[in-house]
Amino acid sequence: MRGVRWNQRIVAAVALAAAAVLASWIGVGTARAATGLSVAAVVAILGATLISSREFRANHPVVARAAISVVAVDVSLTVTGFFSATVNSNLAIGAAMSIVLLGLSFLTGSSGQISIGNGAFMGVGAFTVAIWANHHATTPIAVVLIMSVLAGGVVGLLLGLPATRLRGPYLAGMTLAFAVAFGAILNLFGSWTGGDSGLQLPHAVNAPTWVVNFFTPQTSSLTTNSVWLVDVAIVTAGIALFFMANLFASRTGRAMRLVRDNDVAAELVGISLPRARVMAFIVSAAYAALGGGLWTMINNAVTPSTYGFALSITILSLVVIGGIGTIPGAIIGGLIYAFSANVIAWFTAHTGLNPQGNVASQLNGIIFGGLLVLTILFAPTGIAGFVRRRWLAWRSR
Amino acid sequence: MSSFLTSRNVADVLNGITNGVIYSLVALSLVLVWRSTRILNFAQGAMAMIATYVGFAVLAPTTNYWVSMVVAILAGLLLGGLTERVIVRGLYGKPEINPVVAMVGFLLVLESVAAAIWSTSSRGLPTPFSMVDWQLNHKPVAMSPFALYEIVTAVIVMTVIALLFQYTKLGLRLRAAALAPEVSRLLGVRVGRMLTLGWMLSSAVGAITAVLVASNYFTGLTPTAMDGVFAFGFIAAAIGGLDSPVGALLSGISLGIILQFVGDYLNSNAIILVALGMLVVSLMVRPNGVFTRSAQRRV
Repeated sequence: MRGVRWNQRIVAAVALAAAAVLASWIGVGTARAATGLSVAAVVAILGATLISSREFRANHPVVARAAISVVAVDVSLTVTGFFSATVNSNLAIGAAMSIVLLGLSFLTGSSGQISIGNGAFMGVGAFTVAIWANHHATTPIAVVLIMSVLAGGVVGLLLGLPATRLRGPYLAGMTLAFAVAFGAILNLFGSWTGGDSGLQLPHAVNAPTWVVNFFTPQTSSLTTNSVWLVDVAIVTAGIALFFMANLFASRTGRAMRLVRDNDVAAELVGISLPRARVMAFIVSAAYAALGGGLWTMINNAVTPSTYGFALSITILSLVVIGGIGTIPGAIIGGLIYAFSANVIAWFTAHTGLNPQGNVASQLNGIIFGGLLVLTILFAPTGIAGFVRRRWLAWRSR
Repeated sequence: MSSFLTSRNVADVLNGITNGVIYSLVALSLVLVWRSTRILNFAQGAMAMIATYVGFAVLAPTTNYWVSMVVAILAGLLLGGLTERVIVRGLYGKPEINPVVAMVGFLLVLESVAAAIWSTSSRGLPTPFSMVDWQLNHKPVAMSPFALYEIVTAVIVMTVIALLFQYTKLGLRLRAAALAPEVSRLLGVRVGRMLTLGWMLSSAVGAITAVLVASNYFTGLTPTAMDGVFAFGFIAAAIGGLDSPVGALLSGISLGIILQFVGDYLNSNAIILVALGMLVVSLMVRPNGVFTRSAQRRV
């Protein structure tokens, strides 16, 4: 796209948009649905036009990142209208997981620390949402989610304080201890958290009436609960992605990469190591809590066993397999998580393993663990890093 | 005197010591690996668990405790050596999070494989000694023949390790390889072999620990049986300092005693929370451990 001029670009975009609008009016039955599809298509095409210009990306990085997020969310929202409820609920879980992965990716990829306790931080957010919903019935979703972010941040600060003076393995061990301790901590505050059985949400999270009225029941999207929740998850993930992209590129993000690569040099150029490390830890905990909060809304309940030690390991393996320290890596990891159960079920069905047997039920752990070890030994940058290297090699030929 | 021995506080101390030696053993096995290869082995508990399964599941028909114990130790030695050669070899000199991630992955593989082969249901192990507490004037003293056996075993293991490191040629080579690999290589020490041996020793200590844990705790042997014990063992090792075997020993026992009091007087759920709090505070005050002379990290 380097040689393309702006006027050519705009002509192409308008033509494409017109074609998309026409196609949606011909292809889709109802007028409302067609309008919705047209709007989505026009937004996607305009956004893509902006992003495709290298000059624009260089001169207005923040706007370009916003455009990328908007296009990604727009396209994802549109396609959810065509998926079945099962696929959508998988996607919702995966989108929330992507947020968690973004947080850990930032912690590991930017500041070189590692956390094996992000499953427990997810639990903090998940229980915040559930506890709040059980005490105050009607609070807007956004407010509840922000509260889970704050709760995660506070717990992250408490646990992250020693991070000011610690290096890798010690911190990892401490977060591991937190992950193992989380169940007992929940039990300790059993009157709030419901002990072993966890909490139910008093009301399912429904689409607000103005949204339903705006989109009328004929459209396939936003009418049922599962679609509403997957859309909430995707929009939240988009916003989280936008903030993370800016954070990666910001002064703070650059400072943290220096801390990761050479902490002595970082100190010499005036970066406060303790602050950088604690900041990264708080951000990762807050992102994890946001993902956990979304999970509570999607599942309509929260159980302590979900947020055990195993989840923390899964999160770590998804980040590493997807690609540590990259945003696409977090999205890849989220998608892997969303559909891994289906793929494994397909695999057991086609290899004739007993689906109720020991081997089949442990396949998940064997595959994820094995991939984790192989990835770190042979392709430490994960899928995203591998693809990126291939792509750069291919382009420079 | 007899009422003193059966009193609540003495019982707490005795139970605490029994738990504490287990934490000490886990901490010691972590320290052995950390000193030789600068890697915190997160799969330590899982490796020990596998060795125990091998010892007791493969030899189930014989059910001789001592034969099984020996097999478990041999399995531990083998597994430790294999792990170092196959997985850890590729991780030296890499960023310090790579070994952490690899060992966590290995932990996941081991636990899943164990569950796939032996199922997640708990398995009781034979015990060589009675687990019923001794009586004094018809009141129980918080010490059973089995608990005493645990403590004695731990003392023997620690003594053997200490003697090996302090008074043998092999121990000298092990220490040299860990402390100054380049120099020892020049002086003819097979450094790679010493590192493998360090992992084997650590894994064998782990196997002994897991056998004790699996027959002592009411949970029996499950694929995740060592998770909690590993967490406490790590906390003990980190408080004592990952470089200091003596620190691991002392902080493991103190941790056991303190936590026993917490569980008795406060709440059993508060145990791990208090342990976590102690870890956080001690790491903030003495990041290199309470028992290590503080040393500057090399740049």
